[in-house]
Amino acid sequence: MNRSVQAHPFHLVEASPWPLAVSFSLLTTTLSGVMTFHGYSNGTFLLTLGLISTVATMTLWFKDVSREGTFQGHHTFAVQKGLTLGFVLFVVSEVFFFISIFWAFFHSSLAPTVELGAHWPPAGIQALNPWEVPLLNTVILLSSGATVTYAHHSLIQGNRAGVIYGLIATITLAVVFTGFQGFEYYNAPFTFSDGVYGSTFYMATGFHGLHVIIGTIFLTVGLFRVLSYHLTDHHHLGFETAILYWHFVDVVWLFLFISVYWWGS
Amino acid sequence: MSEVEEVNTIKLATAGFDARFPNTNQTKHCWQNYVDYHKCVNARGEEFAPCKQFFRAFHSLCPNEWVSKWDEQRESGNNPSNFDV
Repeated sequence: MNRSVQAHPFHLVEASPWPLAVSFSLLTTTLSGVMTFHGYSNGTFLLTLGLISTVATMTLWFKDVSREGTFQGHHTFAVQKGLTLGFVLFVVSEVFFFISIFWAFFHSSLAPTVELGAHWPPAGIQALNPWEVPLLNTVILLSSGATVTYAHHSLIQGNRAGVIYGLIATITLAVVFTGFQGFEYYNAPFTFSDGVYGSTFYMATGFHGLHVIIGTIFLTVGLFRVLSYHLTDHHHLGFETAILYWHFVDVVWLFLFISVYWWGS
Repeated sequence: MSEVEEVNTIKLATAGFDARFPNTNQTKHCWQNYVDYHKCVNARGEEFAPCKQFFRAFHSLCPNEWVSKWDEQRESGNNPSNFDV
């Protein structure tokens, strides 16, 4: 039997240190995160360490995955199917993560307690005007959805310059969005610790902002892989999942804008 | 021969059902009457008889410590509720 030919389409992975390394990094991040929140000494130092090692091990793991897919040819159609399903399930879990945050927001805002003056925003809270920076950010994020679609169609049609410019436009819009969110945070008349309004507002918009940053990095990886000729017009799974993730982040923003910024003000 | 016994009857009355507060938890029912009483007094003065209805309602519904806490908050001007008419 010819051992150089594989009789099945599946990717039998080799031994890798990254699952264990990521596990310990996440354990460090979680424990030191709790330590930081409870004011233990050196909590922030250990949290920084945990975050750095999480990002580092994730980077090395994904570098391996991209090598396996691009240069070793392990990402057959069957494998791509599995990766796509895995990523879709991950996004579903993210949907439920945001549902839990929206649940907290609506729990507190739909029937505000007497301690808040029985109204929302609570007594003494000056909410942000949704028709200023938040509306601008809605336009920016929706436009980035259009530019990322342009990049995607360019890739499928083999238009290299189109992908690159489309991705640069998308990433630029993403960075501008994050900049405006930072500006809003910096100038907001309420803080995280200003009661349940601050808690729900910053949990919801903060976790969305974190996801925007992750999505921006994901798209940037896609851009550099295009620049390095990793992606072809028919094999670009990492890029397609990045696009799916970006649309997910976009949709979460629409819900945030409508319920937290508009209705909630 | 029957001697008519004099019976002193004390009428005990609690706040009745209010369709705005159909739930078991009557916190908002108590709070609404507390706010309405003070709105009423601010508008018509303490002697205005209809205000007494709100007074009886929140006294029957609210725990005493809530009332004293809200009174203190009103006096120091940091009660979150709106008592203006």
